[in-house]
Parts: sequence; structure tokens; C-alpha cells
Amino acid sequence: MQNDYPVWADSLIKTFGKSTAVNGVSLCVPQGMIYGVLGPNGAGKTTTLRMLLGIIDPDSGERSMLGHKQPRDVSHRVGYLPEERGLYPNMKAVEAIAFLGAMRGLTWNEGRIRGKAMLEAANMGHAIPKKIKQMSKGMAQLVQLLGSIVHKPDLIVLDEPFSGLDPVNQGHLENLVRAEQARGATILFSTHVMGHAERLCDRLAIIAKGERLFEGTVDDARGTLAMEARYVPNARAEEAASLLPAGANWDGLAWHFQVPDGGAEPLLSSLINAGHGIAALSMQRPSLHDAFVRIVGEDVAREEEEVA
Amino acid sequence: MNSFMRFVSVIARRDFLAVVGTPTFIIFLLGPLFMIALGVLGGQGAASVAVSGDKAARIAVIAKEADQAALKATDTRLREIVGRASSPPILEIFDPEGDGETQASTIMGNTKSDYFAVMYGPLETPTVSYESDSKKEAYWLANLADQIVRDRKSAVASDATLSKPVMRAVKAVRPGVGLQQAVGYGAVFIIFLLTTVLAGQAVGMLAEEKSNKVIEILAAAAPLESIFLGKLVGMLGVAILFVSFWAGLLTLGVSLDPRAIAWVSSWTPAVGMPVFMLLCTAYFIMSYMLMGALLLGMGGLAATMRELQMMSLPVTLGQIGMYVLASKAASSPGSGIALVAEILPFSSPMAMAAHASTDAALWPHMAALTWQAIWVAGVIWLMARLFRFGVLKSGGWRQFFGRKAVARQKT
Repeated sequence: MQNDYPVWADSLIKTFGKSTAVNGVSLCVPQGMIYGVLGPNGAGKTTTLRMLLGIIDPDSGERSMLGHKQPRDVSHRVGYLPEERGLYPNMKAVEAIAFLGAMRGLTWNEGRIRGKAMLEAANMGHAIPKKIKQMSKGMAQLVQLLGSIVHKPDLIVLDEPFSGLDPVNQGHLENLVRAEQARGATILFSTHVMGHAERLCDRLAIIAKGERLFEGTVDDARGTLAMEARYVPNARAEEAASLLPAGANWDGLAWHFQVPDGGAEPLLSSLINAGHGIAALSMQRPSLHDAFVRIVGEDVAREEEEVA
Repeated sequence: MNSFMRFVSVIARRDFLAVVGTPTFIIFLLGPLFMIALGVLGGQGAASVAVSGDKAARIAVIAKEADQAALKATDTRLREIVGRASSPPILEIFDPEGDGETQASTIMGNTKSDYFAVMYGPLETPTVSYESDSKKEAYWLANLADQIVRDRKSAVASDATLSKPVMRAVKAVRPGVGLQQAVGYGAVFIIFLLTTVLAGQAVGMLAEEKSNKVIEILAAAAPLESIFLGKLVGMLGVAILFVSFWAGLLTLGVSLDPRAIAWVSSWTPAVGMPVFMLLCTAYFIMSYMLMGALLLGMGGLAATMRELQMMSLPVTLGQIGMYVLASKAASSPGSGIALVAEILPFSSPMAMAAHASTDAALWPHMAALTWQAIWVAGVIWLMARLFRFGVLKSGGWRQFFGRKAVARQKT
């Protein structure tokens, strides 16, 4: 089974001293997908990725990357952008990309040629001869990202790739990720920013406190919550409460409630028959953020928001 | 090239160029010039002080005129025999003026020169007054008197030459064991000095990767052992460049002076000079790699500069201990202690270089180089494990020793 997935992990456990960072996480990342690992800070996302990449070994559990149990056996087919960015400050941008390419099997010369082309394509031609220490943090981060994909890897692992980037560069990065997917690469990335995950991910896993709490598509995640309805009656608004689902909330202008399992139609017909009528009605799908909050629990999500 | 060696070459290339391609490398390369310049300046100062001291130093004899010529001639003859370095200060002769003891005291109290010993009275029963730490000078004066009295009794003039030898210089045919041991000791010292100065740089090599987080990228792409070896090879390249530069300058200097060429030509290590030089180079590389691997690993493990300094002290002391052991091996080839020094991995490169100077057999060197290479690999393996275990926090003790992790139930 592990050979069918670019990334496969079964019951990974990792402890540091008395603290359990990852507690039985399992993942299957299908070929060609953009797969997000979501979770609050300290959820175990980075530790999971580091175990998958072979930087650290799990205490127990199994993993495979591109069909190999030792991830470094296929390191030339993998690109990796760590959460803590790092480049040699005295290296020129194009040399830094060539070095990262050489670490993944490219020749230095080929790395330089590709690096130059990639920098120019990213409107960073002016940075080619610049040293990393002369660049802004965001520019250096983009250079490192280009270095992690210069060898055209089959699998790209990005740990919190959007942190530290301004909105324009975040957009560039999203486009880059989509372009790599279009090239045929599988992308696995971690984030705690729901917007990026919502726009990019084909599938995702939500991790909190070292455990995987959800796995599926973005729609599946949203599907864990019922649709939200906003209803404004024509007449006798407050009396409509007896017909609405439990938990319906009147804010002085409209009723808010979750659409019941049977759908909205039976409810609406009973409201019309009872003479309340419909002045306004809108239904909204819950966001990934709402689903995330429900899945990880409000306390954890609130902590996360406070940290953010 | 397999992937392990490819990683080694990529990292070595990066590290080599990162060092060599900076202006600070020029300062590093020319570093010994500062040492030489300071040494020359200091030496000149010390020499001028010593020369002015020598000029002021004296020994004296209060003698009647009839003895003065014989004293001068005998003094000159004795100085020729013992050589300038072993001769006492300049001899001055005074005419007697009254009481000898009083005159001797006056001479020793003179403020323009330093008189270490003064002899007075008849040559058959002279008296020598001397400063308590100038016994050698006092005996020189007593011997002068004794020699003159002997010459007179045998009726030989003090400046007479009774034998006329023919002096003929021939090429040495003795094995020159003493010189071989001296060459061996020189090799021990140079390998120790170069290893101490150059391998010490390895200690901070992982600090850069740790501080700028590049280690995360390297560890994701390559085995830690190849990262460690690559860094060592890169810095070894820098060290070899440094040694080659100075060895080239030294060779050029020697080739310009015929006396230096003759002196170097007199070195006759048992294995022959070309093989000896090759072996010394190989042993320097092994010594560098062993010490470098240890220091590199320790630098990687240390969380702070203070921790690093604390850990470096025992290593430095151990290294000095190994040098003392290898020096002992150089001065007593074939002894039990020499064998111990040749087997202990950290003294082995130095002791085996000394071994090459006194023993012509080559097979021990093949065995020693293999033994040392195994230790280099072992130290790199151990340090990489400790780094993975202690810094990257990977695995438990079972995995440290290469065992598979025990599966645990999810709790």
C-alpha cells in the first residue's frame, strides 16, 4: 500500500523527554495532489514532516516516501522548505540555488543555469548577483523556495511556506505551488493559515496535540458542520422560534440557525404555512476555519488565534 | 561517484570556497608572517641585549709582566679548543698594584665592566676570587695557571705547535641514528603543531549551519556522516593549501642557500626522503581528520560558546599528552612505549612518522594508515550519531546503537 502513495505514514509516534509531540499520526498523500497538514502551533506538524523526511526517526510507526522506507534514498526526488529558513549569508542568490540543487543531485552548472532562469521568471533578476545577506527576509525566503524546487522534484514538502511573506509574495507562492502541481509534482505543506489551505488543498489532515483528528477534502471538512441559514420572516418574527431548529438565534434583525439534516425545504414550507412568510433567506456554507475550530476544539483554536 | 561521495564533494566544495574565497583567508594564509616578524623583532632585541651584555663581561688576571704573554697565548689556545660558544668572557690582564686581594676587589667593583672572576698571586699558587654563580670562569683562570706551569716544567713554549696534523673531510658512513631520531622528532613536532593550529578550526564549522538553520536542509538531503566528512574534507583542503604555500616558500628559501641544501641533504630517514615526505603528508592528513572529526562533532554538540570551551580543554590536554607520548616514541624507537604510541589512534600518526625515520620497512605504515582510517570513520560515525541523537533529537538509545525502534501502542 505504501508504494501507491508518494507519502505514507502509519501510526507515527515521537516523544521528546516526557512530552509526546506526535501520537500515532497516519497519512496517505495521493500522487499529484496538494495536501495540507493543518494544525495549531505546537500541534506536531513540523515534527511529523521531519519524520517523514528522515531528518529524525520516529520512536515507533512506519513511513515511506516515494515508495522508500529510508527517505534519504530518494532525496534527489524530494524538495524541502523548512519552517526555520536558512541559507549561507555570504552566498550569492544563484549560488545558493545551485548549492541546494547540488545537494539534490543536480550539477553545479545546471543548478546555476536553472537558478538564473527561475530568478528571472520570478522577477528577481536583479537579485542574481546579490548575496543573501544583502536581501530582505522575504526575498531570501523566495530564493530558498526556488532552491528547493530547482531539481524539479516529484514531491515537494513545504513547512509553513507562507509565514514571513507579504500578501503579494504569498500570491506568487500560491501560483508557484499550483504550477508545480501542474508539472506533476505532489505537494505536502503545513500551515495554520486556513485561507491558503482552503484555496490550495485537494486534501488535508488536521492535527492537534500530536494526533490526527481529521483527514479528507476541504469539502469533507466543511461537511462536518451543517449549512448556516439567515432567515428574516415577513410577519410575527419572534413567534417563528417554535418552528425553527433548536439553537436558532435571533439578533434583532434575522434568525440564524443550522440547516437541519432533512434540508431547508420542509422547514420553509412549515414557516410559510404558519404565516411567517419569507422576507429574506440566505444560506452559507461553513468555512474551513469554522470546521477547523469545531474539529480541534474551541479552546485550542482560541489559543491559536491568540498566538497568531 | 555514489551518492555518499557526491554529498561529501558538494559540501567540501562549498566549505572550501567559503573559506578560500574570502579576504580573511589571506590573513589566515599570511598568519605565520606575523609570528615570524614578531619572532625576528623579539629575537633581534634579545640578541642585542645579549651582545651588549657579552661586551661588558670580563674575567681578569693580575700578573707580573713576565707571565702576561704566556697567559694570553694559553688563553687563546684554550679558546680555540673549546670553541667560542663554550668560552668564558674576554680575558683582561692587569699589572700588580700592591695587595692582590685589594686590587681584585677593586677590579670586581669596577662600574664600567662586569668582572666575574679575578686571579692573582703566583701561578703556582694562585688565588681566584669569583661571584658564586661564576664557578666556570674561575676554573678557566685556574686552568690557565695550571697549563702555564705544566708547559714551563716540560720546557714547551705556551704558543708552540708540536704536532702538525693533516685534516681530511670524508663522507659520513655511519647510519646517523641520532640524526634520524632528530628528524623523527621534527616530524612529530610539525604534525602536532599543524594539527593543533589547523584542525582547531573544525570546532566552529557546524556552528554556522546550526545558527543559520542550514543544517535542517543538509540533514534532509544527506546522511549526517557525509555532511561531517564533507566539512572535514573541505577544511582539509584549506589546510593543505596553507601547508603547501608555506612548504613551497620554505623549499624556495632552502634552494637558495647551499649550506641549507647541504644541511637538508644530511637528513637520512630510514625509508628515504621522498617516501618519508609522502608518509608524513599521509600521517598529517590522518591526524587532521581524527582531531578534526572530534572537534567538529564537539562543536556541533555544544549549545553555547562556554560549553564548547569547557569541552575543548580536556581535548587540548589529551592532544598534548599524545604529543608527549609520540615524542617519547621518537626518542626510543622499537620500545614498548613506542609501540603503545603507534597503536593509540590519536598519537599513532605522529609516532608512525617518527617510526619511518628509523625503520625502513613499509608494511607497518600500510597497516597504520588503515588502522587510522578505521578510527577516522569511527569517530565520524560516533559524532554523527551523537549529533543526530543530541541536537536533532532523533531516536532513543536503542536507535543510537542501531537497533530498530520498539513499536508502541498508541495511548
